[in-house]
This record gives sequence, structure tokens and C-alpha cells, in this order.
Amino acid sequence: MAEAKLSAAQRSKIRRLSVPAEMSPEDEAGEINIVPFLDMIINILMFVLATVAVVFTSTIETSPPSSGGGKVRVERTTPSLNLTLVITNDGATFKASGGNISTGCDSVGAGMTFPSKGKDASGEPVLDADAITACARKLKDSSPDFKEETQIRITASNGISYRKVIECIDAVRKDKSGNDLFPDVLFGVPR
Amino acid sequence: MAAAPKSPATSSTALYKTALRKAKRKNEVEAEVNYLNITAMLDMMTIILVFLLKTMASSSASLPQSKDLTLPSSVLAAEPHQEGVAVVVTKSQILVGDDPNPVVVLPTRESLAQSGLDAKYKKAGINDLHIVPLANALLAVRETDKQIRLAKGQDPNSSEAIVIVDESTPYRLLMEVLFTLGQSSFGKYHLMVLQAKKT
Repeated sequence: MAEAKLSAAQRSKIRRLSVPAEMSPEDEAGEINIVPFLDMIINILMFVLATVAVVFTSTIETSPPSSGGGKVRVERTTPSLNLTLVITNDGATFKASGGNISTGCDSVGAGMTFPSKGKDASGEPVLDADAITACARKLKDSSPDFKEETQIRITASNGISYRKVIECIDAVRKDKSGNDLFPDVLFGVPR
Repeated sequence: MAAAPKSPATSSTALYKTALRKAKRKNEVEAEVNYLNITAMLDMMTIILVFLLKTMASSSASLPQSKDLTLPSSVLAAEPHQEGVAVVVTKSQILVGDDPNPVVVLPTRESLAQSGLDAKYKKAGINDLHIVPLANALLAVRETDKQIRLAKGQDPNSSEAIVIVDESTPYRLLMEVLFTLGQSSFGKYHLMVLQAKKT
């Protein structure tokens, strides 16, 4: 036996040296301590997510406004409705190629199609959006030639707010069933 | 010539070294990962954070919603168009692009609702729709946008604008802004609204 020829001091030294050295936790990782940095990153992430108010936006596509004639309208060979919605302080009126739509959306004639139901807090006319949608549907269904028509011209009095205009655009965009009515909006300049 | 016999001291040292190697091999433990390596996760978190901050800074979510600018709500659920020159009309001013300096400082709403902006901002009197300071600002922006569109392979003859308008803005001012945009070779507009459920 080899060990038998070793002295007691040598055997003791071998036992001592052969034991694997224990490493401190820092040495074990072999890298810098990034835990505080990680804490900081997580805190920033949480702070950013918690403070940012998520706002969902959308855009309405349109082209430059026109006054009078329908130069920017899509040229159609079949009879067209050429629908225009005029918003004033007294209410809203539909004007089609046949003429002004009378009160109640029943026929062509004089009068405001949708008289204002009063004034809101900002002094603007209160309009019946459901009635506008129903009338737009009725006008579109009045002839098979109008089925493919998607454009509408919106005109308003100078003082009518942008919010009211958007309300009316929403009212003529789709019907109650979600079918498209007049999603393509053009703006007209009041004369 | 016969080899000289090893001295007892040399022999003992060799035996000692051999025994030490054997003992070290015997006691050797496999290197094991007894800690959590979070470097990969940290990399991922940092990338997510940078991406999040960058996206939020450039998205419409960064729109300054304040008393001066409140967007109208619409039932429209389509994705917003992101490309185009931003024209912002607040209650008190008109801004173009990234320039924080107002192009026009607006008077009261009552005044605007009557006949739009003052005649001093117009080319041909108060009834004109062309806002001269806005057109001048758009001219500079249009040149830059033209180069961008050329580089992207898009039609450089007409630019697009993202129109961000406060909900209380009178129709007259809206038409003046849209008309001026049209006169400045901006052929397509994207009116920004907030998505809201229909009540």
C-alpha cells in the first residue's frame, strides 16, 4: 500500500488538500449581483403600466371639403341618391337628389327632417340619432340603384361643434343591424 | 551503466503526489448550477421595457388628453391610421407636426363660431377659408413629407394628414383647417376620434 509508506503528516495534508473548497454565494454565481437592478427594472415596468391610461383611438377617412357641386363624388352612371345631411341649430335635414326630405322622413318637401329636441348643456341641438339612422336606411332602400352608394356629404352651420358632426357621422355609418349605410364621409362648406 | 537507486525522500514525495491526485479525483464533485440564472430574464425585461416606452411614445396613446384637447367619441372600431402629418386643433391653438410652438393662437369659441378666424390670418378677408400661417407651416412640413414619401416609394404629389381636433371646435374652424390642408397638397385626412361603445 502506497499510503502505508506515507507519514502521518503527509496523510493529514492529503486529507486537507483533497477537500473541495467551499465557495461563497457571490463566487458561486460568478457574476455581479444584479438583483437590485432587476428590482428597479420591475418597479419601473409596473409604474409605467399602472400610470399609462390606455386610450383606444380610431380615424375617420375623408378628403378635402367642397362647396356646391359634387366634384369629389364617385361618378355614377345609375341614378344616385346624392345624400347630404345638413346640421343646423334647429335640427338636421336630409337632402337627396330628389329634394329636401320633409319632417318624419316620409316624403320630399319643406321642413326640417329631424327638428331639434331641445338644447344640450353646451347650447347645441339635441338630435335623434336613431331616427337619423332609420331614415338613412329607408332612403337607401328606396331604390335598388342606391344599394351600392356609400358616400354622404355632411354640412353644418358655423357654430355646430365637431362632436355633433361626429355623432351624425356615426348615425349614418351603420344601421341597427350593423350593415353599412353611408360610411364614406365628405364635408361640405356651407354657402 | 546501472541506474542509481532512488533515495527514500524522492520516493516518498512521488508517492505523496500520487496519493494527493487520487484523493482530489475521488473527492471531486460535479460542477452544478445551484443558483437561478436570471440574466436571460433580465435581458428580456429590459427589451420589453424599452419596447414599451418606445411604442407608447410614438403611439396615439400618448395624445395629451387635457381640458384643452378632448377628442370626440365614435362607435368606429377600425385601427387608427398612423402615417401622416399631425395637425392638432385644441381649444386655444393650432399646432403642426412635432413643433410645440402654436401656428395660430385661437380666440374664444363664440368668436370662432361666428365667422372663423380673424381676417388678419386670412388671404382674402374674413370669409376666406385659407389660413395663411397654417399654410406656411404646412409648406415646410410638406417638403419633408414629400422626401419621405419619395424614399418610401409612395406618391409624392399628395400628402396625408392626421387631424386631431378638440370636440368643441366649431364647424367653421374645422372647414378652414381642412380647406387649408387641401390647398397645401394634403389630399387625404384621417380625423382622429376615441373609440367608444354605442350607448
